[in-house]
Amino acid sequence: MKQQGTDHEVTTLGTIEISARLLEIPEPFPPNDLYNYAYILKYHVIKVHRGNVDGSDIFVAQYNPLKPRSSARDEFSGKIGGSLEAFRVGDVHRMALEASVDDYWMGGIIDMYFKQAGIRYWAVWTNLESK
Amino acid sequence: MSRRFQLLFSGLFLATIFIVPLSQAGLEIYQGQLPEFFDVFTRVPKRVNLRTFETNIENRSVYATAVRPWIQSLLFMALRDPGEKALLGRDGWLFYTPDVRYLVENKPAESDTEPENPVLAITTFSRQLSQRGIHLIVLPMPGKPSVYPDELTHRAHMHDHDFASPTRELISSLQTAGVETMDLYETFLSLRQQHRLDAVEPYYLAQDTHWSGTAVRIIAHVVARRLLDLGWAQTGSTEYTVNSMYLRRRGDIIRMASVPSLTQTFPAEEVHCFQVFDKETRNLYKDDARSAILLLGDSFFRMYETDEPTSAGFIAHLARELRTPLTSIVNDGGASTLVRQQLSRRSDLLRGKKLVIWEFVERDIRFGTDGWKYVPLPRD
Repeated sequence: MKQQGTDHEVTTLGTIEISARLLEIPEPFPPNDLYNYAYILKYHVIKVHRGNVDGSDIFVAQYNPLKPRSSARDEFSGKIGGSLEAFRVGDVHRMALEASVDDYWMGGIIDMYFKQAGIRYWAVWTNLESK
Repeated sequence: MSRRFQLLFSGLFLATIFIVPLSQAGLEIYQGQLPEFFDVFTRVPKRVNLRTFETNIENRSVYATAVRPWIQSLLFMALRDPGEKALLGRDGWLFYTPDVRYLVENKPAESDTEPENPVLAITTFSRQLSQRGIHLIVLPMPGKPSVYPDELTHRAHMHDHDFASPTRELISSLQTAGVETMDLYETFLSLRQQHRLDAVEPYYLAQDTHWSGTAVRIIAHVVARRLLDLGWAQTGSTEYTVNSMYLRRRGDIIRMASVPSLTQTFPAEEVHCFQVFDKETRNLYKDDARSAILLLGDSFFRMYETDEPTSAGFIAHLARELRTPLTSIVNDGGASTLVRQQLSRRSDLLRGKKLVIWEFVERDIRFGTDGWKYVPLPRD
C-alpha cells in the first residue's frame, strides 16, 4: 500500500529523503513580490528513509514558501515541487533534500537561525505526510 | 418597504458576505483538504500565526487569483494604471513603486539604535572587518528613478541639481565616519550628461528595476580604478576576454505587477551583455573562494551573473578589470542584513580576505528585509 506523502519524485530526487515535523516558523514569511527567496525552517527528523542527516533537528531551506510546492518552481529555482499546499507548524512533511543550500541556490536566503551552526539542506520535493 | 423585500435584501446582503468564503471552503473540502479558515482556531493566536493565516487565505483564494489580474488589466487599459507595485513613466518606462516611495516620502525620524540605523550598522561592520585587517568599501546603488528622474516625470530634469536622492546624505555620513563609500550618483549623472539618452544604450532597463549590461561594465571599471588608486587591490595575472551578445529579457516590474495586459503592451527588452571568459581555458568566469576580495550584494550583483546569460554581471567584470577571480555572496533584497548573516554562517569565506565590497540598492536603506541589524562575524 502506498504510504501517505510518497510519490515517485520524493523517493528518487535529491540524495536524502526524510519524514520530519515542522517545529516553527520563526517570523511570517516576507512578501515575495520583488524577490523569491529561500526561507530556512527548523524540522525535527522522525525518520530517515534515504541518505544521512546531521542530527535530529535540522534546518531546511524552502524556496518561495508563500506558494504551494506545486507552483513554487520558476526559472531560478531548478526542479522543486511537491504536494504541500501551505506550511503549518506541527505538520509532518516527507521531503527529498540536497546538501547544502549554498550549492543549489545562489539568491536570497532568510535564515533566522544564522547564529546556529549546521548544514542548511535544500528542499527539492516536499509532500504533506500528516497533520 | 414590504416584509418580503426586507427579507430579500437581507438575504442578498448575507449572500454577498458569505458566498465567497463558503464556496472557497466547499472547494477545499472537495479537494480533500481542511478549509483554510480552520487554521485560525487550530493555532495559537500569536502574531506570527495570524499573519501566516492571513497570507495563506490571500494566496489560496480562487476568486482573488482568478479575478485580480483581469481587474488590473481593465484598470490599465482604461486608466493606464499598472497596479500598486508599478508606476508608468514616460517613453514606455516603468518604475517600481518602492523605488519612488524611497525618494519622495518623508524620511522617518533618525534612530540611534539598530535595526533602523544604516550608518550604525555599516560603521560597526567596517570596524569588525578592520579588526581583522580587512578593508571595506561600500557601494550604495542608485535606484532607477534616481538616475532617470526625467523618465518618471517631465518635471524632473537630469541636468538640474535640484533633485538629489536622500542616499547622498548617507554617503556623506559614512565618509565623515571614515567608511570608504563610492558615490555612484555622481558617476551616473556625469555619464548621462556626456551622452543624450538616444545616443547610447540606457544605463538602466526601461521595464526592470536593474541596470543594463553596459552600465555593469562601466561601473566595474570605475570601481576597479578606485580600488587600485586606494592600493586595496592589486592587478592579478588571469587574462579574461569578453564576448558581446544580445538577449531578450522580460522586466521584473512587469513580472511583479502581474497584469496580463502589461505583458502584451511591453514586449521583452533587448539587452546588450558582455560575457566574461578565461582567455586561456575559454571557460566562463567563475568565482574562487580563495580570492582576497569578497563581494556582498543583492540582485544588482545577480543580474547577468547567475541570471541569463551568466558570467556577464558586475562580479565577472570587476574580476576582468582586476585580472583575478573573486568571492561573492549575493542575497536578493537582503543586502542590508541577510547577506551579513549569510557571511556570519560561512566563516570560511572570510579566510584570507583583504577587502570586502558591499553593495545594496538604495531603497533597502529604508525597506530592506530585516532592516540593519547588528550581526556578529564568525569568532566575534
